[in-house]
Amino acid sequence: MEIESIKKNRLKMKSKDKAMSTNKDHKDETQIQIRFITKQQQYAIPDYPLSVHSSIITDELNTLVNELLRESNDIQDQVEFDFLICSQFLRSSLIEHITDREISTEDVIDVEYVEKHPSPEPKDCLIHDDWVSAIAVCGKWILTGSYDNMLHIWTLKGKHHLVIPGHISPVRAVAWISLNDDNASFVSASMDQTCMIWSWDITKNSVECIHICKGHRRSIEAVSINYDKTLMATGAWDNMLYIWSTSTQEDDDDGESASKRARSEYANKTKTPKCAMKGHKQAISGIVWSDKTEIITGSWDHTIKTWDTELNGIKQEIYGDKCFFDIDYSPLSRVVIAGSADQHVRLYDPRSTEGTIVKARFTSHTQWVTSVRWSTIDEHLFISGAYDNIVKLWDTRSPKAPLFDLLGHEDKVLSCDWSNPKLIMSGGADNTLRIFKSNYVER
Amino acid sequence: MHVFVPNLICRVKILFNFEKMGQKRVSKRKYVNPKLKENKNETEKDVHVSHNAKNSDMEDLIAAQINVDEDATDDEVEEDVVISSSDEEVEQDKVIFDSDDEVEQDEDIFDSDEDNDSEEDNDSDEDNDDSDEVNDDSDEVNDDSDDVNDDSDEVNDDSDEDNNDSEDIQSENSYEEVQEDSPIKSKDDKLKNKSKSSKSLTFKDKTSTKKTAPVINKLKNNKNHKNFDKAQMHKDAHNEQKTNVSTANDEDEYVYDSSDEEDIRNTIGNVPLQWYNEYDHIGYDWQGKKIPKPEKGDELDNFLKRMEDPNFWRTIQDPQTGQDVILSEADIDLIVRIQKQKIPDIQFDEYAPWADWFTSEVMKTPLRKFPEHKRSFLPSKNEARKVSKLVHALKMGWMKSTAEMQTEREKDKGPQFYMLWQSDDQAEEMRRIHKHIPAPKRYLPGHAESYNPPPEYLFDNKELKEWDKLKATPWKRKLHFIPQKFNSLREVPAYPKYVKERFQRCLDLYLCSRSLKMRLTIEPEVLVPQLPSPKDLQPFPTTMFMVFKGHTDMVRSITVEPEGQFIASGGDDMLLKIWEVNTGRGLKTVPCGGVIRSVVWRPNQAMSLIVVAADKKVLLINPGVGDNLITSKTDQLLEIIPQSEIIVSDRVQSAVQWEQAEGDHWNNGVRIILNHFKTVKQVTWHGKGDYFATVMPDGQNRSVLINQLSKRRSQLPFNKSKGLIQCVLFHPIKPYLFVATQRNVRVYDLVQQIMIKKLLSNSQWISSMDIHPGGDNVLVGTYDRKMLWFDLDFSKEPYQTLRLHGTGVRAVAFHKRYPLFASGADDRALIVSHGMVYNDLLQNPLIVPLKRLCNHESYNDFGILDVIFHPIEPWVFSAGADFTIRMYT
Repeated sequence: MEIESIKKNRLKMKSKDKAMSTNKDHKDETQIQIRFITKQQQYAIPDYPLSVHSSIITDELNTLVNELLRESNDIQDQVEFDFLICSQFLRSSLIEHITDREISTEDVIDVEYVEKHPSPEPKDCLIHDDWVSAIAVCGKWILTGSYDNMLHIWTLKGKHHLVIPGHISPVRAVAWISLNDDNASFVSASMDQTCMIWSWDITKNSVECIHICKGHRRSIEAVSINYDKTLMATGAWDNMLYIWSTSTQEDDDDGESASKRARSEYANKTKTPKCAMKGHKQAISGIVWSDKTEIITGSWDHTIKTWDTELNGIKQEIYGDKCFFDIDYSPLSRVVIAGSADQHVRLYDPRSTEGTIVKARFTSHTQWVTSVRWSTIDEHLFISGAYDNIVKLWDTRSPKAPLFDLLGHEDKVLSCDWSNPKLIMSGGADNTLRIFKSNYVER
Repeated sequence: MHVFVPNLICRVKILFNFEKMGQKRVSKRKYVNPKLKENKNETEKDVHVSHNAKNSDMEDLIAAQINVDEDATDDEVEEDVVISSSDEEVEQDKVIFDSDDEVEQDEDIFDSDEDNDSEEDNDSDEDNDDSDEVNDDSDEVNDDSDDVNDDSDEVNDDSDEDNNDSEDIQSENSYEEVQEDSPIKSKDDKLKNKSKSSKSLTFKDKTSTKKTAPVINKLKNNKNHKNFDKAQMHKDAHNEQKTNVSTANDEDEYVYDSSDEEDIRNTIGNVPLQWYNEYDHIGYDWQGKKIPKPEKGDELDNFLKRMEDPNFWRTIQDPQTGQDVILSEADIDLIVRIQKQKIPDIQFDEYAPWADWFTSEVMKTPLRKFPEHKRSFLPSKNEARKVSKLVHALKMGWMKSTAEMQTEREKDKGPQFYMLWQSDDQAEEMRRIHKHIPAPKRYLPGHAESYNPPPEYLFDNKELKEWDKLKATPWKRKLHFIPQKFNSLREVPAYPKYVKERFQRCLDLYLCSRSLKMRLTIEPEVLVPQLPSPKDLQPFPTTMFMVFKGHTDMVRSITVEPEGQFIASGGDDMLLKIWEVNTGRGLKTVPCGGVIRSVVWRPNQAMSLIVVAADKKVLLINPGVGDNLITSKTDQLLEIIPQSEIIVSDRVQSAVQWEQAEGDHWNNGVRIILNHFKTVKQVTWHGKGDYFATVMPDGQNRSVLINQLSKRRSQLPFNKSKGLIQCVLFHPIKPYLFVATQRNVRVYDLVQQIMIKKLLSNSQWISSMDIHPGGDNVLVGTYDRKMLWFDLDFSKEPYQTLRLHGTGVRAVAFHKRYPLFASGADDRALIVSHGMVYNDLLQNPLIVPLKRLCNHESYNDFGILDVIFHPIEPWVFSAGADFTIRMYT
């Protein structure tokens, strides 16, 4: 496979900075006192302040820490660390970093070091017939929705398991509802203005459309299942946010006769929304459940809204200045990242009401960022896929540069998924689903 | 005239000179008094009667000839009579002139009249030849005739001679000799010539009257002119009577009455009489009988006659008849008077009291019945103009009055000096001059300069040393002189540096500035209006974020769905493509069967329709994207063809036919087809979505059609072609239609059906236009590189002209919500500008060019063909000739 995850231009930086440092060695540099701290116990070193010259860079710090480790812990292997000063990754020289953040050079600076995130590796490439616009991973199954109106089920190993026709327009979003050993159900949302809830008998490998959710008047853009898998929310171009029940059985508590039910079998199949929420002025492009009764939506009308499903109303609004194409909420860090109609990924904190609304802006993409996903296990990590054919792995503590660029796509990246912590997946307009292996280290 | 000519001519040859003038006079007299003709006829009768038979015969004969010859002259004269009668005054004057000293007059006239002279010369030449041939010895006669015919100079000579000795018989003798010697033939000839010459003379006179107007004026002083005329006439009549008396005793007085054919007594015709020299007759009379020659005595008889006949000296021979005629006393008198250069008429009173034709006295009732013209009371405008010119010239100093000239001349005499610096006494005057600097004053002399300074001012040795030390740099000295002490003022010598110091002073003054001048320095940057920085005008499209690829030929037109989720495009590949905006995915392709020149999405979302102009067809296409309910509803609605009883006029019928799409077309989404008679270049929807207009630039007076979708009806709003219509647009709010022809944009009120406004583009060719969503501003793009912003409330001239593009502007577009507009041109550039329209009417729109986006590639020298904004977001789409559509955000 030609896919390669290359390191950020760190190597380049290294060589350059080395050259610089050698130059600076000759001069008498100001010394800065630092203290190394870490949260990773296995790499703990005694925390006495060290005096280093101010233009020290990451690599030099790295060798320094490694030296110290070797002295104390008898760890012989070279371990690569990243250094955080004021919860921001050190990407330039120490003095620049400090002056940028206006930290006094008189005090002892705490330098936190963490083991460097290992580079993801390209693992697989699943070829579809058309654009891959939706991905959902659950267990060992990958569900993809495509622009040829089909749903595909693949195994994690990359084996094509099932193709499901049913929609009459491109599928824009998919989500798993439940998964057992022999039975599963999932939902797909399409531009044909319907959501379909499917029941999949794994053993028989037969799939059946249980419900067709009708109600949206334009193409559905996003679908999200709540934590206990009983509700799902959909957003569409008709500006409406609908909440549906996901139960496969029609939970009509009224005692309708069986005959009536039979008669209206088709009618039963169609589902109507449990509740409709109006508020957005334009298409809803991203939905995520942030709590049991709370939905966060991102829309083309430049707003991110927090909805209360019990009150059926808007709890909070965040105004951006660009259309939002996708949002994701991390229960770990409780913040929202959003991809919008520019090159930036923005981090919003829905809880804060003061200060700048945008908590951080991650700039490296050159085109629209159309999909963002948090890591499910690390509060700092997320991925973003953009129309510049690149999926980027970010650490929130490094806003200027991503950790890794995941190259491989030959056309626009339309969707990505990181629900399986080990696998980063992205679907694009080059008709492929790319799978990258994320060698995550527990910190 | 013919009445008089024979009378006078027949008399004597002697009279030729006189007669010539007399004839003239007569003729003129005739002009004056045409009424006299009758009288003359009568007198003429008498004349004929008075002649004896032979004479009268001869007379008749010759006169006939003359008459024949003079027919033309006659006519002329008659005509002249008619003319002249209307012009009495002038003719009158002419008579006066003639009556005056003929010598000088004639001289003047003839000299001035070369043409007539030459004519005359010719005649006289002939004359000379003839006379030479015939009669060599009749020199005098010849001379005379020459004189007569040649010019009046010689006549004058003759008359002078005559004057000198008018009573001299010698002259008479000579006349007689002439009479005898000159053969009849020659006489006849001469007569002919004479008639000719008389003709020419009359002619001459006619012309001369005109030329001698000033002379006439001079002569007007002669008060006698009127009287003279009258007298003259009387005199003539009198003469005739006298002649009558003298010949009354002739027996053949009443032989025949020649009143009808007066002059036909000798019928030999127009032959010289000398031919009859050998015969004893001189012709034939009326009955064909020979007219016998009068008996002629020999020399002795003549001599005897001369001796005996007391009347001999007054006897002359009629050249026509050969008869002897005895001149009456009156005739003699006449001749004598003529010779004396007196007025022939004795009774004429030269000094008769002057009677004004128009009196100088103011009469109670005006003589002329028309009132005085108004302009005679008004001062002359022409003169006033001339005077005003002169006055103006004097005022402006271009011209100078003599007094001024004089003073100037005097001034120039002395030496002139230029006052370098006015002295202090003129300071008051100078103060008026702005920022005047007075001349620097000299310091007043101090004690040191005194001739008798206090001793402390006198230099001691030390100071002298210092003085000497500063010899090289004298300006460093404290004083410019060494104070000196004199006992008395008498001892003070002349100041040696006086001239030098004066000169220095003059130089100082000369080089010194005399007034403060403030120079106003204006930086060019100051003049440029302060425009806000583009950074403050965000959001606007800055970078290209999407390329829609899929077309296989130039994309000519794009349109955005009102919601902003899709765009539709069409171009030379005859395909309508529908794209998803946020992914750039081509969703649908509809073949349209013609080059698509215009694509417009229906603005109202109640129906999902795109109107597409493909060559001569206009297709209404249901794209099938967006709300399913609406698309299906649209289909249902369009399946039913509304019936209407309205009869479509032929004019409309031949221009457009509505057709329901079927078969493949229907499956492709085409619902209705409008077949036009010409290529449709542009389509546009009315805001409500029921009406759409189509433009066929080649359709002349049917180039604009307004179609109503619900009734499937078309209307032709214009009867007259106003030019090559480029595009039309509906006003977003009001029922106005904007029609852009090549040069102008006309705004029509569709309800009142009148033209409200005409916007003048001042450019060669309008390519496109767009109306601001507020409706008060129009943006017009032209092929001559300009973009014109019209403020409809402001003027019909452009409020601002933007020359941002290097080539013709192809498309312009306003954003519906943001204060943005964009333009695309063949130079591949898409220029996004800020165009803020304020609600405050006093504030002019703010126009700031923001960004030039140049991502398209050139194809066949085409760049961008269409530009449109996203309806909601500040995104702009451009359709390029490089087969792509690009989106900038």
